[in-house]
Amino acid sequence: MLLAARFSDYSSRMVTLERPAFTEEADCIAKAQQSDAKAFERLYRMHVDRVYGLCLRMTGNVSEAEDSTQEAFIQAWNKLHLFRGDSAFSTWLHRIAVNAVLGRIRKSKREQDRIQVAVEQSSAPLATADTGDMRDLSEAVDRLPEGARHVFVLHAVYGYSHEETADMLDIAAGTSKAQLHRARRLLAQQLTEQGFEA
Amino acid sequence: MRAARGLATGISPARDLWPGIEQAISAPRKSRWSPMLAQAAAAVLLVGASSLVTYVAVKYDAGDTPAQVMTAAAPQGLIFDRAAFGGEDTLAAVYGRAGGNIGSMLDRELASLSPEAREDVERNLAVIRRAIEEIATALEKEPDNVFLQELLVEAYSNELALMNRIGSMAQRVMARRDI
Repeated sequence: MLLAARFSDYSSRMVTLERPAFTEEADCIAKAQQSDAKAFERLYRMHVDRVYGLCLRMTGNVSEAEDSTQEAFIQAWNKLHLFRGDSAFSTWLHRIAVNAVLGRIRKSKREQDRIQVAVEQSSAPLATADTGDMRDLSEAVDRLPEGARHVFVLHAVYGYSHEETADMLDIAAGTSKAQLHRARRLLAQQLTEQGFEA
Repeated sequence: MRAARGLATGISPARDLWPGIEQAISAPRKSRWSPMLAQAAAAVLLVGASSLVTYVAVKYDAGDTPAQVMTAAAPQGLIFDRAAFGGEDTLAAVYGRAGGNIGSMLDRELASLSPEAREDVERNLAVIRRAIEEIATALEKEPDNVFLQELLVEAYSNELALMNRIGSMAQRVMARRDI
């Protein structure tokens, strides 16, 4: 009886804790699909940090990340009528953000400049929320070659599976695994050189 | 790998990005149809339809039955399946050859034109030529625009089709120097 009561209490708290956020997002999506810009702004506020974080990790450049984030949300607005809820909205949004980043990289063809800027900017304390050892790791990730960095960020940092990562980057799952292996090897080298234990 | 999971995934941008997004999503979408293009396309369609009407009227004047009108086929030489533009502009040459083919056939049909039909034809030709000029002007600005290229071919094709049916006008086309 007591156990049942506690379970009931736990269940009700689960509902009250998790449901509002979910329903608020669903409500905003539905309204934004009807061209409600205010609802879309609420969606933006809910997701901007993770989208910007993903763009920043992938590009290693604040300016490119800001532009990619804006482009991703603009594209999301234009494609919102296509969102059917088959995946989480955040996953759908991340996919658009990855496409925005890749599109900008292809377009700009300034990868060498970007790397230089990224190295300079990665040491800026407000660029990411990482501190201490994490900041060293973050900077090491920024220095990874583009392909390895993209796979590492999506798989190791954001937790997407190799299949999801490969799908987002339009590469084979095997390539994703190979790039991750390469990224780990390069990171280990970098961190060892900096005095960390591999 | 475990350490990587500890990296921050949510990072707040240093500035609010929403105003730029809001501006972009609230701006009215640009139409791909400029007024000039829309007018040119409308002119071509109008001429296509009206030249068909003229053709039917002229054929009736000559005593053909409707069945004969509907089964009349365009000469082989008038089929435009491709055209070249830009530096190697062969459209005008193809057009000239097609016009030459027409010239030999037109005299036979001259007598069948009534004054009213002739007036209709001249009006239609004027509209076609204006459309051709407008499309050509637009093509100078966008030489790789496939839509404009197709529109120009269609306009030429309409003009030739009309000329093919109304023989008396062919001589004027042959004398043109602007194409």
